[in-house]
Amino acid sequence: MRDLLYWLTLAPALLGEPGPVVIRLETTGRPSPAFVVTGWEGAASTAPGSWADRLAVYVDSGSAATVPILGAHRVENGALIFEPRFRLEPGLRYRALFRPAGGGNPVATTFEIPKREAKPPARVAQVYPTTGVLPENQLKLYLHFSAPMSRGEAYRRIQLLDQSGQPVPLPFLELEQELWDREGKRLTLLFDPGRIKRGLAPREEVGPALSEGKTYTLVIDGGWPDADGSPLAQEFRKAFRAGPADREPLDPKTWRLGIPRAGTREPLSVEFPEPLDQALLAGLLEVEDAPGNPVSGSVQIDRQETRWRFTPQQPWSAGRYNLEAGKTIEDLAGNTIGRPFEVDVFERVSERIARETARIPFFIRR
Amino acid sequence: MNPCRGYGWLGGLLVATALAAAATAADYSSTLKAGKAEIKSAGALAFGPEGILFVGDSMGASIFALDTQDRKPGKAGAFEVQGVNQKIAALLGTAADQVMIQDLAVNPVSKRVYLSVARGRGPEAVPVILRTDASGALEEFSLQNVKFSRVDLPNAPSPDAKDRRGQTTRLEAITDLAFVDGRVVIAGLSNEEFASNLRAIPFPFQQADRGSSIEIFHGAHGRFETNAPVRTFVPFEIKAESHILAAYTCTPLVKFPVSSLKPGTKVVGTTIAELGNRNRPLDMIVYKKGGGSFILMSNSSRGVMKMATDKIDTFGGITEQTDVRGLPYETIASLKGVEQLDRYDEANAVILARTEGGSLDLKTVPLP
Repeated sequence: MRDLLYWLTLAPALLGEPGPVVIRLETTGRPSPAFVVTGWEGAASTAPGSWADRLAVYVDSGSAATVPILGAHRVENGALIFEPRFRLEPGLRYRALFRPAGGGNPVATTFEIPKREAKPPARVAQVYPTTGVLPENQLKLYLHFSAPMSRGEAYRRIQLLDQSGQPVPLPFLELEQELWDREGKRLTLLFDPGRIKRGLAPREEVGPALSEGKTYTLVIDGGWPDADGSPLAQEFRKAFRAGPADREPLDPKTWRLGIPRAGTREPLSVEFPEPLDQALLAGLLEVEDAPGNPVSGSVQIDRQETRWRFTPQQPWSAGRYNLEAGKTIEDLAGNTIGRPFEVDVFERVSERIARETARIPFFIRR
Repeated sequence: MNPCRGYGWLGGLLVATALAAAATAADYSSTLKAGKAEIKSAGALAFGPEGILFVGDSMGASIFALDTQDRKPGKAGAFEVQGVNQKIAALLGTAADQVMIQDLAVNPVSKRVYLSVARGRGPEAVPVILRTDASGALEEFSLQNVKFSRVDLPNAPSPDAKDRRGQTTRLEAITDLAFVDGRVVIAGLSNEEFASNLRAIPFPFQQADRGSSIEIFHGAHGRFETNAPVRTFVPFEIKAESHILAAYTCTPLVKFPVSSLKPGTKVVGTTIAELGNRNRPLDMIVYKKGGGSFILMSNSSRGVMKMATDKIDTFGGITEQTDVRGLPYETIASLKGVEQLDRYDEANAVILARTEGGSLDLKTVPLP
C-alpha cells in the first residue's frame, strides 16, 4: 500500500441527506490501512457486537455486492475503525457503507486503490533444453521467466504446434498444481507420460506427442499475465525437431573430464555424450575432496547442456578428488544413472546402484 | 477432497468408535500446540480423527495438522452456493480471478465443508482456509491462534535449500493426502525429478520418525515399468485390509495394499482400469449404496465415472491389451464440470463444479 491517499467521495453516494458522518481510508501512520468513520453518534449507542452492522466494506465490482470483506472493527478515539483482514488490492475500488443507528440514511463512500506503477513487462528468458533436437520421448521442459508469473492458466497459455501449424492435442501433463519454483519464475512442463510410456492406452490410441523426424514449435502466449496481472512483453516461440527415442540409462563412464592443474582456479569440465536435464545437472553434481568434504565453487552449464564446468573458490590442490553425481540426474527422456525411464522387465538392466550417488574419482596434478 | 478419507472404509464405525473413546480424542489433541500456523501455501486437505484437518503445504514442504475443534456432530443438509469463487473473492477483498480454490474436505463429524484457497496467483499468494455449513455462509478458519503440529516432508528440499548456483528452484507439489491406519499418506510430484514420492508419516507427528518415502512402480502389461508418481488416491478396504486406490500421472488406476508401504520395499500397483486418452482423474471418493460399494471419480474430460468395486478383490489386473480396459464404469451424465468432490454423508457428496459460464458452484448432490 502506498502512502498516497487516493479517495474520492461520490457525492451522489450520500444516499439521502448529507450528514456529518465522514468515512476516510487511512493508509499512513497505521500498521495496516483502515477505514475510519468520524462524526457518527459514537460508541455509546452501539454495542461492539453490532459494529459490523454499522460499517461494512465491499469490493465495488459494479454489481450489488452482498458479502462484506473480512476484517476487524474497533472504536478508537471515538471513531469507528475497520481494518481489512487482507491488503487492499491495487486497481480495485472498495465501497464503505455506514448505516446510522435507528435506521437513518446510510452513507457510502468509494475508494479507489491506485494501480501499481508499471514495471517492464515480463518475458520468457529461456526454455530448457536449449538444443534444437529433442528425443521423441522428451520428458519435460523448463520455462524460465524474467519476473514472477501468475499461476492457474499455464496450460491455456502454452501450445505445441506441429509442422503444419496445427496444435498437437494435449501433449502435456496438465496438473492442477502447476509445477512452479518458489519465486514463480520457472515452470516445469511435463510431457504426458501416458503418451511416452509404451503399452498405455493414451499412447496406443493417440500416439506419442512427438514423432521422430517431425518439427514442432512451442508457442508461449504473450497474453500470459505476470504476478501483477500484466501480459508478457511478447509471444515466445521455440522450434525444434524430434529425434529418435532415447531409452538408454545414463552411464557416467561415458562422461569426459577435463582436469585442470594444481594451483590454478581453472574449471573442471565434464562433457556428456548427450544433453542432460538442466535443473538436475545444476543441483546434483558436486565435487568433493578425498576425505569427502564438498569443494566450494561456481557452476556453469553450456553447450546446450552437454557441458558442466566447475570453478573452485580456492585454487585446486594436488591430489585426489571425487565428482559425485546424484543418481537421479536425468537426460532429456528421464533416464537416470543405471535406470532407464521405463525398464523393460524382459530385458532388465541388471546393474543396480545402491549408493545415492555415482562417484567418479579424478586426480589433480602439479 | 476425499470425504472421511482418514476413516476410509471403516466409515461410520470408526467415527463412532472414536467418539466413544474420549481418551483417544484427548491423546490426539494433546499432541498439538497452540500458536500461529505459518502455512506458506494451503493445498491438499484431508480430515483425520476428531476434527483434525491435515493441510498439504507445497511451498513450505510440510504437512500441518490443525485442530479445528469442530467436533460437534452436525446435520447434513442440502445446500448450493452459486458462484462460490465470486463470494470468496468478495469476502477476501479481491477480484474473482485472484482466487484459486485448491481443495475441499468435509469434516465427517460436523459436516462442515472446508476449502483451501489461495488469495492471489503469484508467489506472494496468501493461503486461507474457509469453511461453510449447510447454510452456505462462508467464514475464515483463522490460522492465527490454533492448535497445530507440522512435519517437514522427508527427503524434501528445505525452503532455504539452495543449489550450487544459489537457486531455490526445487520444490514438490503435494498432489493428494489422506489419513490411513494412523499414518498420513502423501502423494507428491517434484518439479525436477520424475519419480514416485509417496510418503507415509505416522500421526501424531514426531520429528524422530518423519516417515518414509516409498517407491511406487507401475508396470504396463507386465512389461514396461516406471517409477510412477501418484497423482490422486483414495483409501478403501478390500476384505478388511486397507488398500489405496491410486491414479498415476500416466493415467492408469491401480490398487496396492497399505501394508506394502514400507521403506525399501518396491511396490508395484495392480492396474485395475485404464480410463482412456486425453483424460485425467481429478478426484475420487468411495461410498456404499444399496449393499454395493462404489468409486466415484471426477475426470478432466470424461465426466464423473462410477465404478462398482465388488469385483476389485478378484480382479487380477490388466496384463494384456484388450478392448475392455479393466473394471467397467458408468458415466454420470448429470454431473458436469466437477473439479473437486468429497463425501458429505451416507447419501450425498459435496462437489465444486465449474459452470459453462466459468463460475464455480459448491453444492451437495445425491450419490449416484
